[in-house]
Amino acid sequence: MSKTLLATIKTPGFHFPTISLPGKSLLNINKKMRIALLILVPILLLTAFSSWLPLPGPLQTNLRAIMQWPSLAHPFGTDRMGRDVLSRTLSGVQVSLLVGFSVALISTCFGIVLGTVAGFFGKFIDRAIMSVVDIFLAFPSLLLAIGLVSVVGTGLWPVIVAITLADVPRFIRLQRSLVLSLRSRAYIDAARTVKASQWWIMRRHIVPNTIAPLLVTASIAAAHAILVEASLSFLGLGIMPPAPSLGNIIRDGQTYLEQAWWISTMPGLVILLIALSLHFLSDGIREALDPRARK
Amino acid sequence: MLAYSLKRLLQLVVSTFGVVTLVFFTLRLIPGDAAAALAGDTITGEALERLREQMGLNKPILAQYLTYLWDLVTLRFGETITTGLPISGLLSQAFPITLSIALATITLSLIIAVPLGAMAAFMAHKGRKTLDNLITTAAMLADLMPSFWTGLVFLLFFSLMLGLFPASGMVSFDDPVTFLKRIALPVMVLSVTQIATMARITRTAVLEVLSEDYIRTARSLGWSEVRVLFRHALKNAALPIVTIVGLSFGSLLNGTVIVEFIFTIPGLGSLLVNGINSRDYQLVQTLIVFYALFFVSVNLVTDLIYKQIDPRVQL
Repeated sequence: MSKTLLATIKTPGFHFPTISLPGKSLLNINKKMRIALLILVPILLLTAFSSWLPLPGPLQTNLRAIMQWPSLAHPFGTDRMGRDVLSRTLSGVQVSLLVGFSVALISTCFGIVLGTVAGFFGKFIDRAIMSVVDIFLAFPSLLLAIGLVSVVGTGLWPVIVAITLADVPRFIRLQRSLVLSLRSRAYIDAARTVKASQWWIMRRHIVPNTIAPLLVTASIAAAHAILVEASLSFLGLGIMPPAPSLGNIIRDGQTYLEQAWWISTMPGLVILLIALSLHFLSDGIREALDPRARK
Repeated sequence: MLAYSLKRLLQLVVSTFGVVTLVFFTLRLIPGDAAAALAGDTITGEALERLREQMGLNKPILAQYLTYLWDLVTLRFGETITTGLPISGLLSQAFPITLSIALATITLSLIIAVPLGAMAAFMAHKGRKTLDNLITTAAMLADLMPSFWTGLVFLLFFSLMLGLFPASGMVSFDDPVTFLKRIALPVMVLSVTQIATMARITRTAVLEVLSEDYIRTARSLGWSEVRVLFRHALKNAALPIVTIVGLSFGSLLNGTVIVEFIFTIPGLGSLLVNGINSRDYQLVQTLIVFYALFFVSVNLVTDLIYKQIDPRVQL
């Protein structure tokens, strides 16, 4: 199998681009990044200023406006308790973005530390870390998160912890493989010959060169985390009502699918848009950093 | 081949052991033990102690671990904490259902995705990009759609509006027609993602093969384009397709949990969600181990098929 083909085979969201330092190139906003920002920025603005919009609060019930069709007053309609679905959705987006961002950030940090240690020192430490990683990778990701939720409990922070724990092993594996490929480069040998300390080499030469591919992976991991959180909440194992999350709004609407299709479908479209924009963002970053990926 | 199979089998045993160990000790981290979870607020004091003794929870943790391992090896999974039903019985009822959904999804997806991907590659090779672009875009969208959302949309459209498939009701192997009707929607929902991934991979793989010398030779022998495409190109593109079936099996298993929940199908996924909701740790830990074993075995089988298809592969 050729290299290009190997690269297209999807190992859930993880690519191995060989990339130079992220510098100026990241500032050249390309077409894919522009599409991503075009979707993401309005959603971010709407979410950030949702309290200024002429909408009832996400928890405010109105028994005189139960399950109303989408209208100007309620663009996404209302649910079985007369709550505004758009208002709830925006509040759910806040949760989703918080989960996506936290999981991506925390997993990247842990991935950098443990992956670098495993790849750089090798031997016993490597074997110890990687055998635990392999055990985690023996579970499909959502199932692992479900299993972990049964231990850490439900709610916002437990869910973030569970998804992060399920995600970290893949970051460790990525970082380790990046470090391994960097370790044999000539400039590392050069640094060794002038008796640079291991700590210095790691900090100066290894870690900075792994940031770019990690950035690409992190934005996909954020999209993935948002989907997992929504799935957990949908199954009733994530964020619990009345606090809105995209997953539990959709779960809520399932019972009234026939009478009020908008309760479930509208938040779903929003999830799709967010996931789509994060994928474009990740693709855009990769193209910006790796000239060879451009078509 | 035999040596390799044995080596992989050994790896499987080792990773299963790791999974079992991890699951056992992680579940012991939960505040309040299984006896307290079972008792709730109703049993306290001495009665609770007796219950602990009954469940073997007063022994040292290492002894509990060894007992647990031995029980697993001898396939004694015990009873659920809440209902007292034997777990092995529940597993043997739920597993065939989940397995049929998974196998049906893989079959349906392959039947649709492989010709579709091959056609897209063929068109792209000829310079006609419309189908190609269409498939690439659709694949990306389908890949990102949350399966619970697709599930609800399908439920709304095919079941509630058109009335084509039942949304609930018995799931039993005794009546094959009803069974197929019942799992049709879940399979369709799961297939959306699978088809997207498989079609994309088939397209890339076939496109690469189409520019090989032996394809030109086949053409020069005067064989029809269809025969060249399906007999020669596709055969050589089989390897990445097998790989992707194996790789996407994890996401397929994730998906079964969701669709079983939506369409109330009593498979492994429903068992797991119910187990967690009723805090039945005995059931949950057995299921998690079972899922991991299932997933790892599928990966093993994929690798072996891989070797079987292409003798060039060095393992």
